[in-house]
Amino acid sequence: MTASAITCIATEGLTKRFPRVTALEDLTVTAGAGVTGLVGANGAGKSTLIKILLGLLPATSGRARVLDMDAATQGAEIRRVVGYMPEHDCLPPDVSATEFVVHMAQMSGLPRTAARERAADTLRHVGLDEERYRPIGGYSTGMRQKVKLAQALVHDPRLVFLDEPTNGLDPRGRDEMLALIRRIGGEFGISVLVTSHLLGELERVCDHVVVIDAGRLLRSSSIGEFTQATQIISVEVEDGLQPLADRLAGVGEAVAVQGRTLTLEVPADADPGRAYDALRDAVCDLNLNLIRLEQRRGHIEDVFKEPAA
Amino acid sequence: MMPEPTGVIHDIGYRHYEGARLGRGSAFAALAVHSLRGAFGLGRTARAKIMPLLLVAIMLLPAVVSIAIMALVKQQGMGYHNYASIMQPVLAIFLAAQAPYLVAPDLRFRVLPLYLSRPLAMIDYLGAKLAAMSVAMFLVLAVPLTLLFAGELLVDLPGPPHTAEYFSALGGGVILAVLLASLGLALASFTPRRGLGVASVIAFYLFTSVVSVVFFGVFMSLGRDAAAKWAMLINPFFLVDSVQVALFGTAPSNGEGYPPGLWPCLFVLMVLAVATVGLVLRYRKAASS
Repeated sequence: MTASAITCIATEGLTKRFPRVTALEDLTVTAGAGVTGLVGANGAGKSTLIKILLGLLPATSGRARVLDMDAATQGAEIRRVVGYMPEHDCLPPDVSATEFVVHMAQMSGLPRTAARERAADTLRHVGLDEERYRPIGGYSTGMRQKVKLAQALVHDPRLVFLDEPTNGLDPRGRDEMLALIRRIGGEFGISVLVTSHLLGELERVCDHVVVIDAGRLLRSSSIGEFTQATQIISVEVEDGLQPLADRLAGVGEAVAVQGRTLTLEVPADADPGRAYDALRDAVCDLNLNLIRLEQRRGHIEDVFKEPAA
Repeated sequence: MMPEPTGVIHDIGYRHYEGARLGRGSAFAALAVHSLRGAFGLGRTARAKIMPLLLVAIMLLPAVVSIAIMALVKQQGMGYHNYASIMQPVLAIFLAAQAPYLVAPDLRFRVLPLYLSRPLAMIDYLGAKLAAMSVAMFLVLAVPLTLLFAGELLVDLPGPPHTAEYFSALGGGVILAVLLASLGLALASFTPRRGLGVASVIAFYLFTSVVSVVFFGVFMSLGRDAAAKWAMLINPFFLVDSVQVALFGTAPSNGEGYPPGLWPCLFVLMVLAVATVGLVLRYRKAASS
């Protein structure tokens, strides 16, 4: 991808004070193309940041640029090429998803026939089929989230802001939504800024993660840096977990047995291939039945919990 | 032998939109047309169509009856200038039924942020809603007037046609439509619940008409005719009628006449200003929440 050279979002010393609270404090971040995760607890200033980036809320001080346009002065131009999926419910119950998305496409400046085509395409991409002709009032939370996503994508924006898109979804709906976000950032070629208060789910889809807390930047780095510290391979075999652990420890691997699984730690600077080879040879030589072998990334949470280094 | 397969399914994947991206103006127009259609129940459920169509039918009724009278006894039936004043309860019910539909759902279901995250500004949104409601009100009044005029021309009454009267009634209709639309939307926008919006617009109409009648009666019994005429202006329909009298020289439809001069015009402008400022303030608050 031509991607990461472009800067989608850049803020510089961005501060937003409300009469009672400070929502953002001297925030300086940049985000490139692809999927960027914005992580923070509720009230950390995520939604405020999005509103400033959309040019809907003036910053108290500092600057924000979106797709190389100034959020303070070029709000209308930004909103023409950016999509926004709010956190809250925002759908009228008495119209169908098709009608609603067509209308929203027209509000983004698409001519009527183009709006119809794009709405049908977009609803298909987010996975709404026959239901799209029924009134939204009867939809499940998962379907509503899809309609909200569709209206943010219908005008083919260059960048979308997704505010807590997995809110209220069941595990399956969450997986679907995350897969969709990955596709938007990859296959669709639309950059994504996605917020969540759950670090774990973002590591599955993001290229870059920004962590903010109480309006301040805690950390901003690529997902690789977040999770590359250690790599963990977890292994499950039918019988003979202990002999396997002994054997691997014998060749100098860092192993640990946790219940029915054996975990193998590969330090960041080591060659993971060597660990896999050793594991394969050990399983073969001991003639064990391998049930599961998977690579587990270090979780963002773990990195986050470490004292800020 | 198997026939050669002819149909092929292609996964065309995601396609980017390369077509035209129109500006704020077209979004404004699209929103206004969408709202105008909605005011008559078009593009909505069958149930939503009943009320507006029924009211339009009631508005047309006097015109149809008048045409029949003209055809049978060769006499003018209903006049143009007082059509709105006579039919004011119907117009008020139409306003009360449709103004909340235009603004309340977007507030209640929080659709407004979706509009505002697009090139459309808050002022465009309000402008489109006002335009839609004004045009809807105007059509509800102008269609019966036009039917009446067409009937008069076809029946060919003795004497010249009342062309000037027809056009001054249309002129008054424009003012009435804009005034009622801005009042109705301003009142309806203060509650996100449609039912409350309907009730508040109706209550406003009943209140103003009752208050103006009571004051009129009291002042008349005290022998203060001039003050009684001022009291008539509390009712927005008579206020607009008085503007029509002042601007186009039509006969006053309240039978008593209005205060002289252009004061009524100034009042209309003041009411319009208050309603619009109220709307803007209301939406500024809604947009920031």
